[in-house]
Amino acid sequence: MLSLKIIFLYKGLVDLKKVDSTVLKETAYVALVTLILSVLMQSVFLVLGKWNYTVLLGNVLGAVAAVCNFFFMGLTVQSALGLEAKEAKSRMKLSQMLRTLIMFIIAVIGHVAPVFSLLTVVIPYVFPRIAVALRAISIKKKG
Amino acid sequence: MELALGIILGCCALGAGMAMIAGIGPGIGEGNAVASACEAIARQPESKGSVTTTMLMGCAIAETTGLYALVIAILLIFVAPNILVDILVETMQAL
Repeated sequence: MLSLKIIFLYKGLVDLKKVDSTVLKETAYVALVTLILSVLMQSVFLVLGKWNYTVLLGNVLGAVAAVCNFFFMGLTVQSALGLEAKEAKSRMKLSQMLRTLIMFIIAVIGHVAPVFSLLTVVIPYVFPRIAVALRAISIKKKG
Repeated sequence: MELALGIILGCCALGAGMAMIAGIGPGIGEGNAVASACEAIARQPESKGSVTTTMLMGCAIAETTGLYALVIAILLIFVAPNILVDILVETMQAL
């Protein structure tokens, strides 16, 4: 019931024509870096001899969740920037809480469903942070 | 044995709960940052693009703390009890 409420909450927000080009550009960048890091992670598991289909499926689930989390955060930032400061503050808090809850639910699915490996569901959660750190380094070098 | 198991499971649950205290911070931080960005855009509407980009990057960094806490909590709930119980059983068998 709660997940349905969350889906309906975001359904009204997701209209790609209305999404700011900055949000789309940054999400595309984060998705690209997440893909590269996922391939790296798969190769590490392959080298260690612990690769199986659960590793791949878990990685796909975790990576999609991480990129969606970033995208929804971008949508919230975009919508909050047009509001009053106080309202923007409360919207960001609510959004962060809901997104964390969704991430937790996805991790629980990764643990409960036998087709996913929990570790490979959880590791991609931090890939967007690495993408942002890489972006900051590249901007520093250019500047 | 039952007492030791109870202590292990209880401590794991307690640790996971304590880890999630770190989840409060990012929400407050992001909220403050966006509120300040709103005021900045109201003062200089032409800077909206650069402010949005900086905001996104800033929010992503701020949110990582909460995600780290979430990952630790998930591992404490789902992974740690199994490992610790295995260690306990092995120790009991050795004794």
